[in-house]
Amino acid sequence: MPEAQDADALVGALLESCCAQVLEAMFFSPVLGPAEPAECRGRPRVAALLHFNGKPSGNLEVDADPGVARALASSFLGLDLSDVSDSQVDEVIAEFANMTCGSALSSLGRVEYFHLETPVVSRPLAYAPAVEGVRRGFLLDGGTLSVCLRVEFGPEE
Amino acid sequence: MALNILIVDDSPAMRAFVRRVMQLSGLGVENYFEAANGAEALEITAVQRLDAILTDINMPVMDGEEFVRHLRSDPDPGAATPVIVVSTDATAHRIRNLLELGASGYLQKPFGPEQLRGEVERVLYAGEETPDA
Repeated sequence: MPEAQDADALVGALLESCCAQVLEAMFFSPVLGPAEPAECRGRPRVAALLHFNGKPSGNLEVDADPGVARALASSFLGLDLSDVSDSQVDEVIAEFANMTCGSALSSLGRVEYFHLETPVVSRPLAYAPAVEGVRRGFLLDGGTLSVCLRVEFGPEE
Repeated sequence: MALNILIVDDSPAMRAFVRRVMQLSGLGVENYFEAANGAEALEITAVQRLDAILTDINMPVMDGEEFVRHLRSDPDPGAATPVIVVSTDATAHRIRNLLELGASGYLQKPFGPEQLRGEVERVLYAGEETPDA
């Protein structure tokens, strides 16, 4: 059990660092602090689910306040908030999921190779986590965003 | 120097981002060309003189690895155009494979204007002094 806790702590630290780097470098949006994922419950969300396979396999889920998702799209595309369409928001959240996942996996030890599938974006009317893994929440300007990563290394060969 | 740059990515948002960061980087780009996959990119490289190509890996129709392989096997002089792969995947396996196929550089996401400029200048002016030097 302590080994599993150590692995979760490692993945959690990696998520924190990779999310902060991606948000700052590519979305010009600094993380203002941690946010409890539970704070997100009960409100409409923008979510992205990405599966990856290889060694390791697993999935990553992004869950964001709609206002945060729109603000990220605005920063990423260099557009005014009012000029960003819903489809652009979806596309940018998918990119965020892709970048965060690739960045975290590339930094994780024991990774041999991986293939990221195309993220699926949805707009659930309530917080509805689809992945059971290590989750970290972030406070951004305008709301919260959380990321959950599940990594399966499979049996040792 | 006024550069002709081709951006290959299936995501219009990512193409727009690369273009934006190119502008922020201060690189003197005269013309941007865009393609949504490797096959579209080959159609452009066949008719357009380019200074550098930035390509994603995972794309439908023709992915980045196939694109680099096809481009480098083309007898046309454009086949030697420097190609920078832009990806989140920085595993040793992936980078080695792409460099063996003929990619000239590798830019890992996340990146900002400085990293982009550095990698473009590195592949464009390899062995020479950069224009600002």
